[in-house]
Amino acid sequence: MDIKEYEAMSKIDLPESERALISEKAGMLKESFLSLASVGTNGVEALVTVLDIQNVLRPDISVKPFSRKELLENAPASHDGYFEAPKTLD
Amino acid sequence: MSYYISGCMTGKNDQTLVAIEDSIMQKGRPVTAGSKILSGFTSPLDATVISRLEAGGYAVSGKTKMREFGLLPLCEEACEASGAVRAVADGAVSFALCNDFSGVTRREAAENGICYIHPTYGCVSRYGLIPSACSMDQIGIVCRDIVEGFGLLSVIAGNDEKDGAMYPDKSYVYEPLDKKIKAFVPENVLTAAIPEDKAAVLALSSHFDGVSTELAYFDVLNKAQYILSCAEISANLSRYDGVKFGFRADRYNNLDGLYVNTRTQGFGLDAKLALIMGSMVLSKEYYTPCYEKALKLRRVIKDSLDFKSYDVILLPLRITGGAYESSAVHALAALAGLPCVSFSYNGGGVQILAAPKNENALLTVVKAVTR
Repeated sequence: MDIKEYEAMSKIDLPESERALISEKAGMLKESFLSLASVGTNGVEALVTVLDIQNVLRPDISVKPFSRKELLENAPASHDGYFEAPKTLD
Repeated sequence: MSYYISGCMTGKNDQTLVAIEDSIMQKGRPVTAGSKILSGFTSPLDATVISRLEAGGYAVSGKTKMREFGLLPLCEEACEASGAVRAVADGAVSFALCNDFSGVTRREAAENGICYIHPTYGCVSRYGLIPSACSMDQIGIVCRDIVEGFGLLSVIAGNDEKDGAMYPDKSYVYEPLDKKIKAFVPENVLTAAIPEDKAAVLALSSHFDGVSTELAYFDVLNKAQYILSCAEISANLSRYDGVKFGFRADRYNNLDGLYVNTRTQGFGLDAKLALIMGSMVLSKEYYTPCYEKALKLRRVIKDSLDFKSYDVILLPLRITGGAYESSAVHALAALAGLPCVSFSYNGGGVQILAAPKNENALLTVVKAVTR
């Protein structure tokens, strides 16, 4: 199975050794998934979660958010109080 | 032998020790969910289960080793059980908390002579749990004694406003039911079971009035679960980009190169397979035949269960086939949000499932067969 399109969607670039293994597994899984076509589900509504989710608003009371310092402590690189990343514009 | 990702701590005086899987956040301590992509990340908060453990007088012993994001091992077979299972089995701790959406921990616990409690989806807060497959993620308890495990569950269970997918109940009381339990023993699942587990389920079922028929949709459970879990995992893993936290690749030429190199080097094989399959089932071509189909199947699977005709479902823990095929026997609890306990019995592995929020039926069965 050619998986390069899905690699691009996933923002990964597999080395050839991994691509061979993963494309083999992906081919097997895809065939298995498509076999579900034979199971009748006409008119059935999709079920995303088993709970009856209701929109619940918390009390309108301010809470202390994480500070800029706390958030940046886990960043691989930061500069002057911002996350640092390669420039996207020249 | 180390169960932990870093040095373990001891409790004060006679506090009971509880190990936590490395997917659960404890403020000021590293948390990686077993992945290089989160290396260097320190938890900025305590998970709700940590706060509740500490308020209940328990002490956290350390963060146990786990498979990357708790994924089903399709590419990289684990050579030993998870740290949570080994720590409890060896007596290093009384309990361990972990997220077992794939069912692998359930099986490993029984194989090591201990037990696992998978609570009803929506009864234990997941605030502070690194997400894998959100509609199935649920923190459960590895324990040596199921009755004691339910004691700990009553400490950590209950609504938490920080988790938006929970039942409203503030707390739960777990106690045996005063009724005769009726057990559903699916013939088609037993046919697929390995001999030891088939014998164990039959021995267990002899204690109860039984309903013996087939489990509907058994042959599609693993497919539906894997499709949905890959879709959710691929969405959840999109946050790991090497910018805001965790691992960042050393070399890159531009922003896209930073993303791609970081994620290629940071994820293991099973995470990459989940990303590929998640991207596939959510793509325009496969959304309807795969993802939407699995969501529809989830509804018919859930609706096919008839807990008015029986109280519990008895299942083996292992069926013949590879990791993917045999995950069918664990998928029902995750897809339908059911509570489940697993343990070894008469030399085999068994799991017992009940209707949502009917953990008391599980406790009744356990007390009946272990007294």
